[in-house]
Order: sequence, then C-alpha cells, then structure tokens
Amino acid sequence: MTGAAYSVIIYRHMQPDNYLAVLRRGFINGVSITFTMAKVIVPFYIVIEFIKKTGFIAVISDFFKPFMELIGLPGEAALGLMAGYFINLYAAIAVIAPLELSTKDITIAALILGISHSLPLETAVTKQTGVNAWLLMSVRVFFSLLSGVILNVIWKLFS
Amino acid sequence: MILSAKLLFIILPLSIFYEFLKGRDSKLAKRRFAFIGISGSGLISLVTGIIIGLTYGAGVIIHSLRTSNVGKKEAFLILLFLSICHAIIEDTLIFVVIGANGFILIAFRFALAIILTYAIYRSKILKTPEGGDG
Repeated sequence: MTGAAYSVIIYRHMQPDNYLAVLRRGFINGVSITFTMAKVIVPFYIVIEFIKKTGFIAVISDFFKPFMELIGLPGEAALGLMAGYFINLYAAIAVIAPLELSTKDITIAALILGISHSLPLETAVTKQTGVNAWLLMSVRVFFSLLSGVILNVIWKLFS
Repeated sequence: MILSAKLLFIILPLSIFYEFLKGRDSKLAKRRFAFIGISGSGLISLVTGIIIGLTYGAGVIIHSLRTSNVGKKEAFLILLFLSICHAIIEDTLIFVVIGANGFILIAFRFALAIILTYAIYRSKILKTPEGGDG
C-alpha cells in the first residue's frame, strides 16, 4: 500500500464519529456476523456430537500413547489432547482435570492445547478469511506438539 | 439454536466494541507490529484474535479482513500469528484454574508467534505480489 493511500485511511478513521451511528453499525454487523458463524458452527457441532458418540476419540488416544512420553505427559492425557483438538478446550479440561497432574504436566498440556484446539471449528472459521486454512491447521498441530517437547526439555533443565 | 443465541450475545458487544476501536488508531501499536509485517489495517484483527480468540473473534476478524484493504500476504501473517497465539486470556485462565503456570504459557506463545511470523515475513516464501500463500 502506498503512503498516500495509507494516510487517507488513517484520516478517515480519525474522523470524530457519531456514537449512535457507531452503535447501530456495530449492532447490524454483529447480527450478520452471527448468521455467518452459525452457518459454519451448527453443522460442525452436529458432526462432533456424532464423533463423541461413536467412541472414535478413544481409539485415536490409544494410538498416540507412545508419543505422549516424549512430551512428558501420561498416556491418559492423550485423550485430553484429542478432546481439545477435536472438540474444544472445555472438553479437554473435563478430561485432564481429574488426572491430577503436576504443575509441569498441566502447563505443558495447556501450552499444546492453547496453540491447537477446536481444530474442525477453527479451521472452518479460518477458511472464511480466504487464507490457506489447511496449511495453518498443520502449522498449529506441528508447533503445538513441538512446543510441548521443547517446554518439557526446558522444564527438566531448570528443575 | 441455544448456541447461536449464545454466540449472538458474545459477538454483539464485540462487534460494537470493534466499531469504536476502529475510530481510534494507535500509532504506537502500529509501529510495534510493523516489523513482523502487520500494519495498521490488520491490527484490529490481530488484537481481537489475541485477546478474544478465533472461535468468538472470528466474526470480527473475517469482517475486518474483508472490509479493510489488508493484502493476502498480510492476512496470512495475521492468521499465522493468531494460530500460535490467540485467546490468551480465556485459554490461560481456564488452565491456571486447574494448576498451570500462566506466565510461562503466555510468554512461550507470544515468543513463538513473533519468531514464526517474523521468520515467514522475512523469508522468500511470501514474496510473490499476491501473497503466494496458495
């Protein structure tokens, strides 16, 4: 963007705004945004409910158990990560909280889940912005696991 | 239906807040994020994402990216940053409640997001005119 075009935008944004007009615009945008979101979220919510019922998540967590040792988490935490990846953070918390992990384990799990969670939903949402959502999803999964390994190593070094 | 209503309640204040925010540009914040390739127009999406997150902030992010003249490359950089570092308040708090170290969480994610975005911004990957993030 050229400097001139840029200053025009800044100037426009700096105009004193009528608060009522701002409020109205925000309201109208909010309603239309919610409709856009609902169109994406509702179908995914139904799919996720089905996955939960079939027990597919349990099969996956068994498969990833050996890898969990690399991250420094117990095998059962895999289920928590899977719940976080496929459903959302609250599902993950519901699985992880009863395990009574140490501060280190919970921080590692939180780091992994913070970077990468609610993937079906958030990838669908990311797609709406027009960027390559699949690439970003891969980046998230990769870096979440990598951060888990790194934090595990760092934590061991400093304790 | 209940979910949609819940979303509406969360999105409405955000969207109104966004309109207010748009009226005030912070030059300082702009300069702060310029080095990783994110300029003024993309800043609202970035800050919204960092604070509120992708699920609830998505509406604001999508709207802001579509209506402002943020390039494809910059949009990718913003979402790359947000991929690593988003919803830092909500995410961190719910894990601190069950015993995590919140400071480490926030510091690690911010550092990783900045390093990664800077690396991609400086690399040759996105140097084509229309972004080339295919």
